Amino acid sequence: MTMRLVRTELVDSREILPGQWLQSFLAPELSSGSRAGQFVHARTGDLSGLVLRRPFSINTADPATGVITIHFRTIGRGTEWFTRLRPGDTVEMLGPLGRPFEVDPRSRHLLLIAGGLGMAGVRSLADEAINHGRQVTLLFGAASARDVYPSSLLPDEVEYVIATDDGSVGHKGFVTELVPDYEGWADQAFACGPAPMLAALARIAEGRRERLGVAKLGRKRGVGKPDVVGSTAARRKAFLQVSMEQNMGCAVGACLGCVIMGTNGVPQRVCREGPVFAAEEVAWESGW
Amino acid sequence: MSPADLSVDLGRGLVLPNPILVASGTFGYGIEYGDVVEVDRLGGICCKGTTLQPRIGNITPRVTETPGGMLNSIGLQNPGVDAVVAKYAGTWAGWKTPVIVNVAGESVEDYVEVVQRLEGVSGVAGIELNISCPNVGRGGLQFAIDAGAAGEVTAAVRRATDLPLLVKLSPNVGDVRPIARAIADAGADALTAINTLSGIALAPSRRKPLLGNIYGGLSGPAIKPVALRIVYEVSQVVDIPVVAIGGVTELADVLDFLAVGAVAVQVGTAIFADPTLPVRLVDELTDECERRGIASYAELVGTALPPKPGAPSSKGVEYRP
Repeated sequence: MTMRLVRTELVDSREILPGQWLQSFLAPELSSGSRAGQFVHARTGDLSGLVLRRPFSINTADPATGVITIHFRTIGRGTEWFTRLRPGDTVEMLGPLGRPFEVDPRSRHLLLIAGGLGMAGVRSLADEAINHGRQVTLLFGAASARDVYPSSLLPDEVEYVIATDDGSVGHKGFVTELVPDYEGWADQAFACGPAPMLAALARIAEGRRERLGVAKLGRKRGVGKPDVVGSTAARRKAFLQVSMEQNMGCAVGACLGCVIMGTNGVPQRVCREGPVFAAEEVAWESGW
Repeated sequence: MSPADLSVDLGRGLVLPNPILVASGTFGYGIEYGDVVEVDRLGGICCKGTTLQPRIGNITPRVTETPGGMLNSIGLQNPGVDAVVAKYAGTWAGWKTPVIVNVAGESVEDYVEVVQRLEGVSGVAGIELNISCPNVGRGGLQFAIDAGAAGEVTAAVRRATDLPLLVKLSPNVGDVRPIARAIADAGADALTAINTLSGIALAPSRRKPLLGNIYGGLSGPAIKPVALRIVYEVSQVVDIPVVAIGGVTELADVLDFLAVGAVAVQVGTAIFADPTLPVRLVDELTDECERRGIASYAELVGTALPPKPGAPSSKGVEYRP
């Protein structure tokens, strides 16, 4: 679906974790017209001081009920404005925006990796994959038990594995340390979280082919021309796809505010070429 | 009564269907908003700043919100003039709305070369010079802060093109009037006022500036009083049209800028919050003219300016005692 301005209505708002909110909006156009990995750009009602919209990953989308959810942490006046919304309040959203995750049709086993709020970036892919009969393992990292995304908010079919920095629940350490146990099982991996986490995952993914001796997806007829950065094919063939974050202005590709550096030496717009990139499309060491 | 005449003549044949334009850097190349914006109803489109060579722009973060505004330091990321022409001019040529190409450079020769490559290109209706760029030939000082340099680059571009030429003023100067006069004297067809105000924001840790480039340009409602003051000053010292820009978010802002002498207004940052605002302002301005019973919006222009001193009156002679 092409992007449009959609008037949505808040139907539920809950603080699911300290400072983290899950809000449901009635938005049939978005719930049925979006794909996992895409986002919306929501307008705050306080126009006196807040001149920018706020981007939110589409956390879940249910075409049956017409409801989408967003999941965010209160980090400033914009997100605080959203927490004050009550059922029945309307919010104008621009969406769906950006390019989605692309699952190779042959992939049966999907590894999802989320760090903290990065859960919002991969959450809907769990639903989408299970609906398509795929197996999903979700590795989740947080600072401690009090920040762990409730398993009750995930589909039963998802295998949910937790790592915490302080070891208060699950593996003690970084979520990236769990990945080697699953890299043989997984056909593809999809991640969202802090940039250092994604960079570490990209390094793991880069060495995977040598360690496992697996063929690169989609390259059975030999190595052809490299895929264009930002193309659907580049993402679909990648073992690791990452959902990136950047300060955003327009969210449609006009202002060039939200770029990251691509391995082709050209800045890539998170809002337009992304937010989902193949890990090898991102110049992790560029410092951008 | 038929709808009021909203057309505006910026000189050298550049006639806009209405005085509401979209500002450079906020509307890409006109295509990014897709069906969300009716581009054919805009008065004009100023495209993203265009340079001779491709530029990758500044390191990130590039944007951040500030009270009533935002800071940006995109760093003129663009694919270069040849790629811009190849990729977009064909589309622009099919639009009713004039597209004004915003041009930036690091030397007078840069500007001239870019403009020469735009000359005669179907779809390019005019040029807007961004002179808030460091002038490598003058030790990196911006063209915009010096009347001599601003006049020099304007004159050079004027010699190089017959395209309608707007020059965009920077607010980051002590007195903008001598600069505006120099640009007008050098042959610009119109002035745009204002570019962004230089500012910084800090990272949450307060251990460094937030933007990758340290400095950013402030835009949005926060800068409107500054823009209003500069348009007020400039429109009294030049005879060429002034296009106002700075913090327009509603019709009242448009009317304010017209009242201090602007003949047209650019909408910028507000597009990010409300992409449909510029087209709505066209409708609201039409309604406003009807409400006031005026045949042209031009009657709204300059109403807040002090009266110009006319020729000495002869009346006093009669009454001299």
